[in-house]
Amino acid sequence: MSSSAGGERKVSASLGRSVRGQTPRIQDLASTPESPRTPLRSTSQWFSSPGGSFRTEEEYVVLEVGSRFVRGGFPGQSAPLCILPFGPDEQRRLGDYRQWDPEYKMKRRKRKRGQEWGQEHELYRTDLSKLDLGLLEDKLERVMREAYNKYFLLDPKPRRILLALPPRMPHPLMSTILGVLFGSMQAPSITLLSSPILSTVAAGLRSALVVDIGWAETTVTGVYEYREVHEARSIRAGKMLSEEMAKLLNEELNEDVEPGDPKIEVSFEEAEEVLTRVGWCKSRPKSNRNTLYFPARTSPILEEFEDAVEVPEPTVAIPFPKNTPPTELIIAFASLAKPAEAALFAPQTALNEFDDHELPLHHLIYRALLSLPMDVRRICMSRIVITGGVSNLPGLKTRIIAELEAMVQQRGWDPVRSYGSAGARREAILRQQRENAELRREEGEDKVSESLDPDNPPAPPSAGFQSPEEDPIDLKLAHIALRNGPPPNAYVGGVIRGVETLGAWAGASLVAQLRIKGIVEIEREKFLQHGLLGASKDKEISVVPQRQSMGPGVGRGAGERASWTLGVWA
Amino acid sequence: MAQPFPYTYYSCDCYDSKVAAAPTKHASQGIPPAEDEDERDFDPRSPGANYSLYPLEHLLYCEDCQQIRCPRCVVEETLNWYCPSCLFEVPSSVVKTDGNRCTRNCYNCPVCSSPAVVTTLEDPFDPSSSGGPWLLLCTYCKWTSLEIGIEFEKHTGITAQLARLGNGGRTIPSHKEREKERERRLELDKHKSRDILSGSEDSPTTDKRDDGPPSHDDIYANLSAFYKSQLAAQQPSNPFSPHDINFSSPSSFSRIMNLYSSSTSKKQKREKPTPMREAASPLEGLTLHSPSTDTAIIDRLKTSGWSRTLSPAQKLAQMTPTVRFTSDLRPLASILCTKRGKRCRSCRHILSKPESKITSTRYKIKLLARNHIPRLSLRALHTSTSASASATAAAAAILPFNYDSLRPGLPIHFLLHISNPLFDPVRVTLATPSLTPGRVHTRVTILCPQFDVGANTDVWDDALSGSTDTAAGGLKRFSASGEGGAGRGTEGSGGAVEAGKIWERGRNWTSVVLEVVPGKDGKA
Ligand SMILES: [Zn+2]
Ligand SMILES: [Zn+2]
Ligand SMILES: [Zn+2]
Ligand SMILES: [Zn+2]
Repeated sequence: MSSSAGGERKVSASLGRSVRGQTPRIQDLASTPESPRTPLRSTSQWFSSPGGSFRTEEEYVVLEVGSRFVRGGFPGQSAPLCILPFGPDEQRRLGDYRQWDPEYKMKRRKRKRGQEWGQEHELYRTDLSKLDLGLLEDKLERVMREAYNKYFLLDPKPRRILLALPPRMPHPLMSTILGVLFGSMQAPSITLLSSPILSTVAAGLRSALVVDIGWAETTVTGVYEYREVHEARSIRAGKMLSEEMAKLLNEELNEDVEPGDPKIEVSFEEAEEVLTRVGWCKSRPKSNRNTLYFPARTSPILEEFEDAVEVPEPTVAIPFPKNTPPTELIIAFASLAKPAEAALFAPQTALNEFDDHELPLHHLIYRALLSLPMDVRRICMSRIVITGGVSNLPGLKTRIIAELEAMVQQRGWDPVRSYGSAGARREAILRQQRENAELRREEGEDKVSESLDPDNPPAPPSAGFQSPEEDPIDLKLAHIALRNGPPPNAYVGGVIRGVETLGAWAGASLVAQLRIKGIVEIEREKFLQHGLLGASKDKEISVVPQRQSMGPGVGRGAGERASWTLGVWA
Repeated sequence: MAQPFPYTYYSCDCYDSKVAAAPTKHASQGIPPAEDEDERDFDPRSPGANYSLYPLEHLLYCEDCQQIRCPRCVVEETLNWYCPSCLFEVPSSVVKTDGNRCTRNCYNCPVCSSPAVVTTLEDPFDPSSSGGPWLLLCTYCKWTSLEIGIEFEKHTGITAQLARLGNGGRTIPSHKEREKERERRLELDKHKSRDILSGSEDSPTTDKRDDGPPSHDDIYANLSAFYKSQLAAQQPSNPFSPHDINFSSPSSFSRIMNLYSSSTSKKQKREKPTPMREAASPLEGLTLHSPSTDTAIIDRLKTSGWSRTLSPAQKLAQMTPTVRFTSDLRPLASILCTKRGKRCRSCRHILSKPESKITSTRYKIKLLARNHIPRLSLRALHTSTSASASATAAAAAILPFNYDSLRPGLPIHFLLHISNPLFDPVRVTLATPSLTPGRVHTRVTILCPQFDVGANTDVWDDALSGSTDTAAGGLKRFSASGEGGAGRGTEGSGGAVEAGKIWERGRNWTSVVLEVVPGKDGKA
């Protein structure tokens, strides 16, 4: 798809830009050519902005605007005050009280002609050709009004906004969102923070591989020292999963329908509810079992659902009160794991049959790791942070980690995939190494990690890359470091490890509570005057159409004293 | 349906103006270019129209701007806070610390969101001294707090009791206690890691968690404490406020970053404050993914089934977004409401202001659009039926017209009734697209598109002045009792549908006839 290719290009371009004045190579990102004591622009991207800083006396509102939900609340709270969806019931005219009518409530909602699955429940999509920005503005405006009037309950004093947004959101989309917040919500300023970085913060980490399984797409972002260093996307995410669930339910429900009778088609809401209530994901695929190695200690857990063919087979009774007549579907519990299988992992399809934008999740993550510089990869692979709405599906995180471990064992980090007999031998060796590493890791979890490097804690990239397995452990140094420095567990690397996060919203709440300032802070007056064009940028090409009516002297923000940048969103 | 079919919606002007005026609006795909705005047909069926159409009752009116004001072109300001359940006013100083919820005994059912009441479990044959134990009971679905293993010792102070009671009845330590416990364990961990290095490797797992995995709140608190301590380590300690760092210093964080990433010799490094690092233990907020958590949930799903899981709405209403099973539910403290004044967005004049007393529903100021804008209503005209006898006409008037059975191609007449709330007569010019937009193209013709509507003069003035014509356009007078009654003393075309003529007219109202030819479904 052309849009995805374009997105890819844009990513690399902005990644390059994030190291201003330096060669845009990922390897350079964390190295420090300057002398130690001078402020390093390249490493403090996120925090040192020429824009304003948090001021203690000012209060903030913390918002996360996702494609299907808006989360809002205050700094220092662990969870948002409200999570507001964008459903058809939220989009009614004032005075249309249909949703309170019990009869209407019992009716199954039909998909409107020409509408995609779940489209009525979206705030936005990143494919701008199918997005009505006017409608987006309307929806967001109404939801924000609800958030402020029903949940925030603030006094009339204007509040600054801390806004978590996905990185590299298209400018027209971003501009519309900011327009609503500045316009209708009267925010004096908005600080933009990128959601993968916030997810990293909310996991207690500085570097991570953030896997955000959202609605329309899954985004894998390599974060190193609070900066995005790589990004990859796949459309295998919530929407596909929910469609697969609908397919499964339709099949099961239509089994008893007479040939001549109209087919049952479940609504989006029904599929969604089944998915969030009883949907799950097998922790490990059956097909791979013989070819993959699993540490003996974890296998009982992982194999529980494979081996135990239970008699009688466990089932779940799902009520469908909106069906005519209302019915109850008895479905095998195992079937409810199928949609996740098909939508997210697609084990039936050979890898070379996938387009780049529809890679199964484990391949997407593996490739993302593969494209990271070796030492960044070493850090990131031990900090796999899976977040996003779909990540709550029971078993999914375990499955992704297991698949990933299997792939790493099978292939290592060789970009050229090795198959055949040579591959088998290599696999055996790796397996041996892996087993040792695993044992060491498990036994030394709280003691000395095999990857401890006390002299240079986060292991900034050095010229001589070492493979994780060969990292020397210098106990003496470790000893000193432990007595005086941070615990070794903070520097684990080289093994696949999943870390839980409280999510981007909680990350934003933490950042605001700690009064850490962001790189992108936009003042209301400036935005209302120039829009996003007010940002000073290194690159001249802009997605935003030029506005004609800019008077003389308005130098696109370049000559202004307190200029601001769009950071990762530029 | 709550809205009976022929209804009238008013489109607020701010819908059109925002497209041209908003500086952020760039060539958006969904909206046609704004150049020929007048020619752009407003499509009431477009999804965006739902946001600009309002029933007249919902609209305010700004007398200075002479415009109707819809919810999106007013600015709201909170006047006071109160609980909708107990109607107590909450001072603004505690609203936020209470989490915008009532801290009295106002709770809602986590299952159906109906109000829950505190009732006693007391055995009438064996009364207890306190009258308890007490529980929360939903008056609608009969859910009780016993289902999550919670009962109360006293019937007052439910919020305080609930804060210390976890589901299943276990005690939740207070915030302070948790903080202390965290400090203690962190200290313990430090010693332990030293012991390990100095060779004494006993007691590896003596301090195992006894109360399951940390909650969402605990992890957040741990993370927050961890970051604070890391930041504090960067600052020269202030003896008066060890935790309150001057975060407004713009250099603080960038300094941390630099310290952290600079590659200096070991010795230099140790002299400097500890660089900010990642969380390394659960006490610092680090939670490693554990497959057993997933397995436990799947097992539970398998055994407990659909009825033990939560609907999306139930989940969203909970304070912690991670809940999954009915046993995780917590009673919902009533969310506070506000009384808000409304101002015109463009001139800031007050449009509505409620009385500050919570129990009063009256307004000090309320500028309603319906006092300034003619009211339009539409209904089918029955007289075009073949039956001419007055008896059958009366019967037809009683029989409700079936709006669902309009037949394509068959013309029907509708009566458009316009009443004028103003004390001056108004001249009305009507226009309609000849074909309705949307899937079904219906032909609409207004038989009399231009006419006057009389002033809303005092009815008693009319009655007193008898049938003399006044300056109000020389309209035929009409008694108050006759208003709305068809065919009695009104001026008009007298029952015959005729182009260019009004149908009927009264003191401050006029009605005209529309001809509607329903189109065919799915055809242009
Ligand atoms: Zn308006
Ligand atoms: Zn109350
Ligand atoms: Zn209830
Ligand atoms: Zn005004």
